Amino acid sequence: MKTEVIRAQPPAVARPRPWFTSARFLLLIAGLVVIYGYGWQVTQIKLGELVTGAQFVKPFVRDLVRPEVLTRDTTTQKVELGMSINPTVAPEVLPPDPSGARLTVSRQVAAVGSQLTVSGTGFRPNTAGRLMWLNRIGNPVQVATVTTDAQGAFTATITVPEVFQGPDAGAQGAQQRLSAEFTWPVGGLKLSRTLLLVLEKVVETVFLALMGTTFAILIAVPLSFLGAKNLMARNPAGMAIYYVVRMFFNIMRSIEPLILAIVFTVWVGLGPFAGVLALGLHSIASLGKLYSEQIESIDPGPIEAITATGASPLQVVRYAVVPQIVPPFIAFTIYRWDINVRMSTVIGFVGGGGIGFILQQYINLLQYRQAATAVWAITIVVSAMDYFSAWIREKVV
Amino acid sequence: MSGAALRIEHLIKTYPDGTHALKDLTFDVKPGEFLIIIGLSGSGKSTLMRCINRLIEPTSGKIYLDDIDITTLSPAELRKVRRHIGMIFQQFNLVKRSSVLTNVLSGRLGYVRPTWSLMNYFPRDDVNRAIASLARVGIPEKARTRADQLSGGQQQRVGIARALMQEPKLMLADEPVASLDPATSHSVLKYVEQLNKEEGITVLCSLHFLSLARRYGTRIIALKAGELVFDGLPAEIDEHRFRAIYGEEAVEVEIA
Repeated sequence: MKTEVIRAQPPAVARPRPWFTSARFLLLIAGLVVIYGYGWQVTQIKLGELVTGAQFVKPFVRDLVRPEVLTRDTTTQKVELGMSINPTVAPEVLPPDPSGARLTVSRQVAAVGSQLTVSGTGFRPNTAGRLMWLNRIGNPVQVATVTTDAQGAFTATITVPEVFQGPDAGAQGAQQRLSAEFTWPVGGLKLSRTLLLVLEKVVETVFLALMGTTFAILIAVPLSFLGAKNLMARNPAGMAIYYVVRMFFNIMRSIEPLILAIVFTVWVGLGPFAGVLALGLHSIASLGKLYSEQIESIDPGPIEAITATGASPLQVVRYAVVPQIVPPFIAFTIYRWDINVRMSTVIGFVGGGGIGFILQQYINLLQYRQAATAVWAITIVVSAMDYFSAWIREKVV
Repeated sequence: MSGAALRIEHLIKTYPDGTHALKDLTFDVKPGEFLIIIGLSGSGKSTLMRCINRLIEPTSGKIYLDDIDITTLSPAELRKVRRHIGMIFQQFNLVKRSSVLTNVLSGRLGYVRPTWSLMNYFPRDDVNRAIASLARVGIPEKARTRADQLSGGQQQRVGIARALMQEPKLMLADEPVASLDPATSHSVLKYVEQLNKEEGITVLCSLHFLSLARRYGTRIIALKAGELVFDGLPAEIDEHRFRAIYGEEAVEVEIA
């Protein structure tokens, strides 16, 4: 027998409109357009500048990849000749140079602005050098650059410059000198002075961070107990202290160390001490908050168990509380030191000591190769600290 | 070592929030008894245990341990008495980051010189005793392991070893096997039973499973809403009494 199958009709439901036509969605899109449009405008985003400005950053980027790390010693050969700019004053007679190099000039008495032909023999062959005009007290003015030929000779034409003659102008002040200086590198490569200075400042930076962190630990550890709710919530006075301490942590944490450093450079003067204080104060708040939260999250079980053995309150702290908080405290502290090393590289920008101080000087003096040395040093130290702190934290927790 | 007698008289505990955890509880425990406490969660088992060593201060009533009234002791005297009351916990309550040996040695804190102990120094004798305690619960090779590397059953055995260091006359076991699987539960309770039989240590143990209670207890008391509703031999708990303790809806669950 055939049975009639009754199929249930799906109930007629109004089909919802597609989500992208809903009023809420359109409103959201409109809102986002307004927000990002305004953001684009106030932050003055001009993508074209990235292309047109590329030429200005080129020297910096070029020097960034060749930091000044190694240099060679140089030696200088210098020969001087007495000159006079006043016909009534005789030029000095200088002893001949023991190296055998000689400087000759078309005339030794020449007025300011007149042309002279200078030639030299017996110098180091194929070497670049400079001709300098020295006044009576030895202040140099460069008058020409020259290069010796294979025989160590050169010829150049110079114009006698007007130089400061001193109070007795006309007499001895007219006695001046012409000097030829040739400089060339000798010996092997060695660490540049820039590198040594940078290394010294890197060490200062790391220790600046260390001292700041250490001061912070000394104050943050006791404070953190006052800022732990589970310890302080036993009476109203405790709660009041808890709120005060937590508020201090929150306010201090919100002030950038850079701003604190400006305050402290005014207070204690420029230099690393201001940086130590700035990082220290900021770290008290950061570490204090982390420490307090750690104390709040300890397991009460071991405290109960150690108390039950007949241990004294001090023993309970030593055996049930300390083992639970010390490893995380160490981890937080190392992490903070790591952050502080990073912070202390820029704290020098406002005079707080460390490598930032010389980095800023190099940049301002357009000494980009030296700046590059500092930038690389910062990069290496910060990555090393990062790695080191991660390794330690893995070990202790 | 030998067991202590325990007498509880009119013990009342009311928490600050008004909860009446224990309502006028009176009973005796003879030296060397293995007393099982059963009852629903919240019936006052844990509160009772913690009142005995005053981890929780009783509101009123008397607790005598070998005729010493625990409720009136000064903090220093209380610490002396606590040395003889071992305790093991449902969550083991070991210091997870410390070594097993340190955890076991911490059971000795009531005996050692306080200043030395603060520098984590324990006399040679105590270290030997700790190793012996660990050997007794079958895990001497774990002494240098971090406590959190151990399985649950092993952690509870460390808890027993820690309590053993106290040379206890009374052992409080607050649901010692509630976090363990059935096989491990038996092995842990067997160690407790061994201490009870060999050393004569009086044991108070709260349990959830009646089968375990019948197997290990020499006597059972039952709490319901802070009151004593049963006091007798394990064999005396029948279906009727079971319902009286656990409520009409309850069905007994067997544990192997």
